[in-house]
Amino acid sequence: MQPNSENKLEQDLLFAMVKEKYGHLLTEEQLEGVRAAVSGLRDVFHPLRAIRLTNDVEPFTNFRPFRGD
Amino acid sequence: MTDELTYSTVRQLAGLLGDRSVSPVELIQLCLERLERLGPLYNSVVTVTGERALALANAAELEISQGRHRGLLHGVPWGAKDLLATSGGIPTTWGAAPFKDQQFDRDATVVSRLENSGAPLAAKLAMIELAGGMGYTHPNASLTGPPKNPWDRGRWTGGSSSGSGAAVAAGLVPFAIGSETWGSILSPSNNCGLSGLRPTYGRVSRYGAMALCWTLDKLGPICLTADDCGIVLEAISGPDPQDPSTHSEEFIYDPQFQTGRRYKIGVLKGVLEDAQDAVKQNFEAAMTILEDVADFEEMEFPEFPYTEVTSTILMVESASAFEDFIAEGGPQNLSAPGYHGRGPYARPAVLATDYVKALRLRGVMARQVDGVMSGYDALAAPTSMNTATPIDEEFRSRSMTSSGPGDLMGAVGNGCGLPSISVPSGFDADGLPTGIQFMSRAYDENVCIAIAREFQARTDWHTRHPEEPPQ
Repeated sequence: MQPNSENKLEQDLLFAMVKEKYGHLLTEEQLEGVRAAVSGLRDVFHPLRAIRLTNDVEPFTNFRPFRGD
Repeated sequence: MTDELTYSTVRQLAGLLGDRSVSPVELIQLCLERLERLGPLYNSVVTVTGERALALANAAELEISQGRHRGLLHGVPWGAKDLLATSGGIPTTWGAAPFKDQQFDRDATVVSRLENSGAPLAAKLAMIELAGGMGYTHPNASLTGPPKNPWDRGRWTGGSSSGSGAAVAAGLVPFAIGSETWGSILSPSNNCGLSGLRPTYGRVSRYGAMALCWTLDKLGPICLTADDCGIVLEAISGPDPQDPSTHSEEFIYDPQFQTGRRYKIGVLKGVLEDAQDAVKQNFEAAMTILEDVADFEEMEFPEFPYTEVTSTILMVESASAFEDFIAEGGPQNLSAPGYHGRGPYARPAVLATDYVKALRLRGVMARQVDGVMSGYDALAAPTSMNTATPIDEEFRSRSMTSSGPGDLMGAVGNGCGLPSISVPSGFDADGLPTGIQFMSRAYDENVCIAIAREFQARTDWHTRHPEEPPQ
């Protein structure tokens, strides 16, 4: 599958998911806005996905087990 | 008494209150009268908290008369962005119609700390609804109407800490607390000609503040001077068991920090490319003014998707923080539903793997940025590329679900949780303020405040105030 068609398929699937979840809340015009916004996400995803990280690069968060006593 | 007190700094008021030449009760009465009379002209006030403020001012008066002076904020009134929880039946609206009657039975840590310092809370201040978390393009996205700039009521205050900016600029309160996820303290500070400090992430407890993005939200002061920002930050900062993200060390403000030394300040290559002429000219003039204490050097960050990393975290955390609200159609009931109808609904389409990738890249980004910034005391840039925009115009067309060069200082600074202070750098031909920001390494608030203080020691932009509207 070519990258562009793969992107298109992903955007269509993501939009379908959003429409299924929230479509009943939105007008047709708003849904078109959502479709454009979902398509715009590819500009955010691509630069993130383009960077390869080694296995040891962890999320920059700080989880600590909790004990109440 | 009123004229000379209206625009007194926190430090000046502390002196007047401490030597008992001004009474805390008289001072709070002045603020309450101005909040009631002038607040509506700027759409800057949600609730005047007169009863609560007077009770604390009376207590302050008694304590000070008995020689029990708690410190620089004792008796100094202030205003809170209306996303800070307050007990006692005072609403906390988050600036949004669906939450206009919301009440809490607790006080945000910031509120408690300031009141424990003896500072009376005079008002809950207007804000962009949900701190702009659903995305917005116009200033009308606020429960209390479009926040109007005291320098020109036909212009916007900036946001989302809009009322915090307007109230200090209009002399309604000596200082206010705002919040910033991405730009919300610096923007109103720029537009309203004020000094505003975005602290290091974790410096100030977020307990009791509306959560928009847990790993991006910061609370900080908006004041008349950089010095006042340091005073207020010291009072509100410090560890808090209620907020595990708080830093373990206390922040001690040092008003003499590294006085007399030279600073090395980086300026991002091309940072003035999109700036209005006045913004560019005032920034260049500011660099010239600081030449006797600072060396400037053009620099660049390595190629990296800074904006995309910070945007992804913002989109996902805000979508999660308001998941139920979004699912129930809440955005449709906001003041600017035209945009809100679209913005938040796209965010759940960010895949979990992309969000976690952004969190992993954030660590890479933080180390990389700190490596660059370790060569400088601070980076300087115009706070905004333009002065305040007209109140009825769209101020940006880019949504959070698109990327672009945009605000690199904001993407880096907020994504890495770095402190930045904005101070006024001059005015444009229409009399609207411009701002300059100094961004330092994590936990180096004393450094960026010191540079801003040096700038304010050589300029008088921060001493200029807008004309009061005719009675």
